[in-house]
Amino acid sequence: MSGRRAIYLTSRREVREGLRSRALIISTGIQVAIVVAIVIVAGITGGDETNEYDIGYVGSDAKAVVDEARSAASAFDAEVSPREYADPAAARAAVDGEDIDAAIAGRELIARTDPSDTLTSLLQSSSREVRGSEALRSRGLSEREIDAALEPPPLALVEVGEGSGGSRIAFIGSLLLYVAILSFGIAVATAVVVEKSTRVVEVILAAIRPVQLLTGKVLGIGLLGLCQVTLIAVAGIATALITGSVDLPDSTAGAAVLVVVYFLLGYLMYAAAFAVSGAIVSRQEDVQSASAPLTILLIAGYLVAISTIDSPDSTIAEISTFFPPLAPMVVPGRAAQGALPAWELAVSIVLMLAATVLLLWLAARIYDRVVLRMGAPLKLRQVLRLAR
Amino acid sequence: MLELDELSKRYGETVALDRLGFAVDEGQAFGFVGPNGAGKTTAMRIVIGVLAADAGEVRWRGAPLDAETRRRFGYMPEERGLYPKMAVGQQLAYLGELHGMSDPRARESAALWMKRLGIAERADDKVEELSLGNQQRVQLGTALVHEPEALILDEPFSGLDPVGVDVLSEVLLGVARERGVPVIFSSHQLELVERLCDAVAIIRAGRLVATGGVAELRAERAGRRWRLEVDGAPGTPAWAARVAGATPLGNDVYELAEDTDPQGLLDAARAAGPVTRFGPEVPTLAELFRDVIGRDSEREAAR
Repeated sequence: MSGRRAIYLTSRREVREGLRSRALIISTGIQVAIVVAIVIVAGITGGDETNEYDIGYVGSDAKAVVDEARSAASAFDAEVSPREYADPAAARAAVDGEDIDAAIAGRELIARTDPSDTLTSLLQSSSREVRGSEALRSRGLSEREIDAALEPPPLALVEVGEGSGGSRIAFIGSLLLYVAILSFGIAVATAVVVEKSTRVVEVILAAIRPVQLLTGKVLGIGLLGLCQVTLIAVAGIATALITGSVDLPDSTAGAAVLVVVYFLLGYLMYAAAFAVSGAIVSRQEDVQSASAPLTILLIAGYLVAISTIDSPDSTIAEISTFFPPLAPMVVPGRAAQGALPAWELAVSIVLMLAATVLLLWLAARIYDRVVLRMGAPLKLRQVLRLAR
Repeated sequence: MLELDELSKRYGETVALDRLGFAVDEGQAFGFVGPNGAGKTTAMRIVIGVLAADAGEVRWRGAPLDAETRRRFGYMPEERGLYPKMAVGQQLAYLGELHGMSDPRARESAALWMKRLGIAERADDKVEELSLGNQQRVQLGTALVHEPEALILDEPFSGLDPVGVDVLSEVLLGVARERGVPVIFSSHQLELVERLCDAVAIIRAGRLVATGGVAELRAERAGRRWRLEVDGAPGTPAWAARVAGATPLGNDVYELAEDTDPQGLLDAARAAGPVTRFGPEVPTLAELFRDVIGRDSEREAAR
């Protein structure tokens, strides 16, 4: 039998047993629900509302202003519905009777007491634009010259501070990666020690090599993790698109892909280490203390990620990008906020790959030597000596 | 033939195996006996490949064992091990596949062995829901499901009730006799080993003390002990004291000094009464075991 078949068989077992496990299915459901809830709540509390204005007009000059306002409305997060009135008195009555929000008649803007700033500035700027272009046209300028004069390229909008779509995605992405890498890493450690404590590992190793068992286990559990992460990411983005509750920045798709990529790299690296932490102990209750250093590293990565959400360019965020144990939680968040230069991403991925390969190799060596050893948990020093 | 050739293994300062060697013929039921800590488990783990020897090699049909060949062996470790949450049928089929069977063949074979071992109706139950006796049957199934070329079983009888012992004995002898598979098992139940096995190896402190056919080994040791029963005269009779070189051991057994003719003992007995039984006293395997182990440790102490 080929090594590939042994790996296929062992990973298939992990996937099958995982899909049969109620715990995994419930935890996936809960996480999907949490992410969907975060997206919806973000929409309710922080999202932009669209205002709808009914605007009356009297005469063709006023109609031109309202039409202009209509086309400019989206920049004010507004929609304008024009309505024509025969004379200023009728328009005034309509405003007074709350049939419409405002009206334009000749040189007057009719509105109720204390009108909204959005509404007045929308109509004032529209009026300015119409009058300005009329004035320029009367001086014999072409339409193109008028457009160039009145509609220069807008200022580029730079959003800073809390609550931007990018930072919300960064927050969800970091949380998702932290939870996924931790829970599936622990799953690997537990699966390894369960095989040890039930002694089934000796039966398995009479048939296949330790490295095949280890690889199959890491891949099988990883596949479950990949499915879960993808499912959650898709559910979150789909919720945002369907409800329109969060303005997804352009970097969203890229960030989602990076979440998956960094889950894969981060998971493989951590899974290798978690597998060793499961192999050096003999009882299930010792797993937690053996894997505590790994858990702490993951928590550190998560803390760096959320503490640098408002400052994705800070030194600590940058250093973490190049430090593989922390990078999985930090990098996709920085990318979501558009704060990650391409070269930093490339270097980070190369470093992650190198660390992952190194740890997998080291884990295979250690696992091979300790997996049949029973008794007291091994000390780190003993483990490193075994790896030589 | 499965040959263990000069196997040595140390754990730090402790010598687990010291140039241990013996051979097992195909179709043989082979008992592997020795006191606790003699190295039986270590030797079996080396044969099955979960442990590497420091020196020496294991050969199967003349060629050194490799991973591919070992995969066709069946193994039952001393510490039983099964996936507690996996269904019985799936577990057996999975191990069949790990040992190189295709998916459908592994399932077919799993079903067959569950029927033979009397656990067919538990196929869909999780292992942890089974009684210990039934778990033991599943364990045996994992060693047999891939129709192994050789069986290595570490203490397969420990923890079994008498009915379980009978079922297991029958299965093991069946596999050995019908399919020509060598069945090597370790056990402390020497009566059982004597009854089931064609040959044995006795080891102590990692070294071979004796090996060979059970009948031959016992006959070899019969030597100077004779059983002689005289009708109507139980116990140690007075006449025996008059036979030079004969020491009564009790229960109608006499040990003769070297060069003493057993016929002299018989003549003296016949003079005392009608002899109903006379013949060499063949030691049981248990007696043989105590004898050779005892002598080996004396020899070691003298060194």
